[in-house]
Amino acid sequence: MKYLERRVIHGILLLIGVSVLCFLFSDLAPGSFFDEMKLNPQISSETVAALRSQYGLDKPLPVRYARWVESVLGGEWGYSFAYNSSVRSLLVVRARNTLLLTTLATLFSWLVAVPLGVWISNHPGKWYDRLSMGGTSLLLSVPELVLVFGLLYFAIRTHALPVGGMTSVGFDQLGLWGKTIDLVTHLIVPVTTLVLASLPVLVRHVRASMVEVLKLPFIQAARGHGIGPARLLFRYALPAAGNPLISLFGLSVAGLLSGSLLVEVITGWPGIGPLLLEASMSRDLYVVVGAVMSSTLFMVFGSLLADVMLVVVDPRIRVE
Amino acid sequence: MNGYNLAQPERSAHGIYMQRLGCLATLFLACALSCLASSDPQPLQRGEELQTTDNEVGRYGGNLVVAQRSEPKTLNPVTAADAPSREVIGRLMADLIHINRASQQTEPALVKSWSMSKDGRVFTVKLRHGVRFSDGQPFDADDVVFSFQVYLDEKVHSPQRDLLVAGGKPVEVQKIDQYTVRFTLAQPYAAAERIFDSLAMMPRHLLEKSYAEGKFAQAWTLNTSPAEVAGLGPFRMKEYVAGQRIVLERNPYYWKADRNKNRLPYLDELIFLFVGNEDAQVLRFQAGDTDVISRVSAENYALLSKEAPSRGFELFDLGPSLEYNFLVFNLNDLKSRNLDKIANKQAWFEDLKFRQAVSSAIDRDDIVKLVYAGRGVPLWGNVSPSNKFWVDQALPHPSRSLEGARKQLKAAGFSWRGDGQLMDHQGQPVEFSIIASSSNAQRMKMATIIQDDLSKLGMNVHVVPLEFRALLDRVFQTYDYEASIMALGGGDADPNPELNVWLSSGGTHLWHLGEPKPATDWEAQIDQLMQKQMVELKYSRRKHLYDQVQELIGQNLPCVFLATPNILVGAKKNVANFRPAILEPNTLWNVEQLYFRQAGASGSGAAR
Repeated sequence: MKYLERRVIHGILLLIGVSVLCFLFSDLAPGSFFDEMKLNPQISSETVAALRSQYGLDKPLPVRYARWVESVLGGEWGYSFAYNSSVRSLLVVRARNTLLLTTLATLFSWLVAVPLGVWISNHPGKWYDRLSMGGTSLLLSVPELVLVFGLLYFAIRTHALPVGGMTSVGFDQLGLWGKTIDLVTHLIVPVTTLVLASLPVLVRHVRASMVEVLKLPFIQAARGHGIGPARLLFRYALPAAGNPLISLFGLSVAGLLSGSLLVEVITGWPGIGPLLLEASMSRDLYVVVGAVMSSTLFMVFGSLLADVMLVVVDPRIRVE
Repeated sequence: MNGYNLAQPERSAHGIYMQRLGCLATLFLACALSCLASSDPQPLQRGEELQTTDNEVGRYGGNLVVAQRSEPKTLNPVTAADAPSREVIGRLMADLIHINRASQQTEPALVKSWSMSKDGRVFTVKLRHGVRFSDGQPFDADDVVFSFQVYLDEKVHSPQRDLLVAGGKPVEVQKIDQYTVRFTLAQPYAAAERIFDSLAMMPRHLLEKSYAEGKFAQAWTLNTSPAEVAGLGPFRMKEYVAGQRIVLERNPYYWKADRNKNRLPYLDELIFLFVGNEDAQVLRFQAGDTDVISRVSAENYALLSKEAPSRGFELFDLGPSLEYNFLVFNLNDLKSRNLDKIANKQAWFEDLKFRQAVSSAIDRDDIVKLVYAGRGVPLWGNVSPSNKFWVDQALPHPSRSLEGARKQLKAAGFSWRGDGQLMDHQGQPVEFSIIASSSNAQRMKMATIIQDDLSKLGMNVHVVPLEFRALLDRVFQTYDYEASIMALGGGDADPNPELNVWLSSGGTHLWHLGEPKPATDWEAQIDQLMQKQMVELKYSRRKHLYDQVQELIGQNLPCVFLATPNILVGAKKNVANFRPAILEPNTLWNVEQLYFRQAGASGSGAAR
C-alpha cells in the first residue's frame, strides 16, 4: 500500500504545482479580460478600472491564488468574468461532452489496436503486417487537422453526416431512437478522427510489445506443446506484454479531457476545447485554470489507475 | 352507465351548480395557463398601442437558424460586454427609442412619442399603453425608472453608464405618471435620443430582488430558468444547450404588428448555433444548417457566390461598413518609461511631413484589392462613405504618390544612403515595426502591403504579429510599440460615441493616451469642436463642426486611414423581408418581420 500512498501524495503535489504554475503563467501573459473594453470609445477607462477592481484583478497574485484555492475548496473552482458564474458550472457540462467523445474514441482505438497489433505481431514481415505498418506510418504522418478536414469535406459533399455540433436543432422533439441516431451521426466525424489519430501509436506499441514477448522461451515452449495460436497469443503472450500497454492505457485515460481539444474546436463539439480556447483568448483566467486543472486531475487519475493495474498484474511491483 | 348513475349520491341543484362552476373555473385556469405558456401570438387587446410596421405581410411559422462565432456569456443586458451576448439580448429586449438600421435615424420603440425642451436638457417620453413583457406582466414607467436606476448605479459598474453621463453628471430620471417619464440632462446633448438605442428596458418585477440584494451581476446568467427571464423583444428565452445553441421562441405579447394587425414576429423560433469560426459557419450555411450568414469575408463571399444559384441562397454586398482601419504611430509620452529606443524614433513620428509621406506612399487601392478582394473602399478619413449623414464629402482623397512622399521626406530633413536606405538628419536609418493582431488575417495583410510600400521609400519596416490582447496591452498599458494597425468604428453613425477617440483626454485617444492637456494646437481645436458639436442641437450646425474635425484629422494625420471592408451577408432565398443593413446587427435587426415564403422551410416550424 505504501507504493500507492506515495503515488497519491505525488498526485496531490503535482496538482498544487500545476495550479501555482498556471497562475504564474497567466499572470505573465499580457492583457486582461477587460482590455477589449478599452477599444470601445463609449466605455471610459474609469469604468474598465472599476470592473478590474470588482473582479479582484488589481489584487496581488498571492491574494488571487488564495481566493481561488478558497473557491476550489468551496466547490466553485473560481469565477468566470465572461459568464458571471462559477467555473464548475461551465466545466461540468462540457467535461461530460468531452468525456463522451474521448471515452468512445479511446474504447474504439483499443478495440481495434489490440487485436490488430496482436495479430500482425504473430506474422512479422507478412504482406498484411507490412500493409498495417505502412498504413500506421501514413496515419502517423498525417496531422489530426488534415484528418478532420478530410472527413468534414466528405460530410459536406455527400450530405451523409452532420458537419458539426453534437446534436441537431430539433433534437428535443425526437424520440429515444431518433436521439440516439442523431447523436451517433454527430459523433462519427470527431470519433473517427480521434481513433485514426491514436491508432498508429497503439497498434505499433501492441505489436512491438508482443513481438518481444513472442521471442521468449516460454512462448516457444508453449508453442512446442501444441497450444493453438489464439490461446497462445491472447492467454499467454498478451498478459506478458501487458506492462507497457497498461502504462499506455493510463496515459490515454490521462488525455481523456485534453486529447480532443483541436478536434472539438474544428467540429464544433461542445466540450472543454472550445471553452478553453475562448477563455484563453479572452483571458478568462479562472476558466483557463479550471480547465487545465481538470485535465491535470485526469492525468493524475489515469496514472494512479495504471499504477493500480500494474500492481495487480505484476507481482514484482508489489514486492518492490 | 346506469349502474354508475345509481351509485352516485343524490346531489342538490346548488351542488351541481357549484360543480359546474368549479369545472368552468378549472377550464378557465387551464386556458389561462396554456395561454401564458404558449408562444402563439396573443389577440390584440383593447387600448393596446401597437406599433405598425410597413413590411410585406408575412405568414406565421418556421424556425430561423443563424450561427454565432461563440456562445453568449450572459442574458443580463447590463453586464453583457461581448457581441454574441448583445446579439441575443437584442432579440429578447427592447429599448425606448431605437435607431432604424436601414435609415440610420431614430424612431419610437417602446415610447409612442418624445419631446425635448428648448434648451435641449429636458427630454420627456410617453410610453405605449398596454405593452406587456414576454411573461405577460405589464410594462410601465416604474420599469423605465428601475432600468435607469440600475444602469446609473455606480456599484453595478454598467458599461452603459458612461453614455448616460453628460457634463459630468448622470441623467436624472423621473416618473411623471404611469406612462410618462422625464429625463433631465446637466447640459444639452446633441442627438440625445440616440443614447436610448440598445438600452434594454428590464422587468422590475423579476430583477428588483437581485438588485436590492446587490447580486444584479449574477442575475440572468445562461443557467437561469427561461421562466425567470422576460423582456420586451420579439422573442423570449426557451432553451440553452451549453456550447451548442440557444433557442428563443416568439414573444406572444410583442408590441409590433403588421399592417393587417397580425402581431409580430412571424417566426416561431429563432435559433442561434454556436459555430466557432467563419469557415465553419460557411460550411454550415452551405450544408443548409443555417438560414442566414453575417459578416462573411471577401474570400468566402466569392466561394459562396459560385454556389448561390444551385443551393438556393442569396448573397448581399451592402457596401462599406462604418469600421475604419488605420495605421497609428506611438506618440505617447514615454519619459517615465524605459523605452528609449522607441522614444528616439518619436521625432520622426511626430513630424507631420513624415506621417504625410507614409500616407502618400501607401497604396490604398492595393489594400482594397488584395485584402478585401475589391469588396471594400479606401479611406482618407475616419468617417466611412456609407455614413451618409456625417461624411465630409469635401475631404481630399489624394492619390498615391511616391514622388510626393519623397519630396515631403526631403523637406523634413531625411536623406537616402547609396543603397536606397532612408536616413534621418542624425544619420540614423529609418527603421520601425508595425504590430498587428495575429488572429486578424486582413490586418496582417495590410501590414505586409504597407511594409512593401514603405520599402520603396527606403524605410525598413518590420511586421510583428501579436496575439490580440498582447497587442492591446502594448497599446493601452505599456506603450511598448512603434506603430500599430487597428480598427475602430462600426457602432453608431453619430459622432458622439467617438468622443473618447478624438478628445485629447479620451480613453481611446490611441496615438497619445492620457494627455493632461492637448499636446498640439490642432488637438486643442478638435477638443473645442467636438465639445461644441456635442451640445449643438441643430444637425446642419453639428455637421459643419464635425466636417471641420474631419478636415483637421485629415490634415494632421494622427492616424493614417487605410480602408474599410464592405459588409457581406447571405440568406436563403425563402427568407422574406430580409433587409440587411450596414449598422449592427446587420441581418437580424428586423427579425420580427422575417418569415419563410414556403411552409416548413427551415427547422420544424409549420406555417399556420
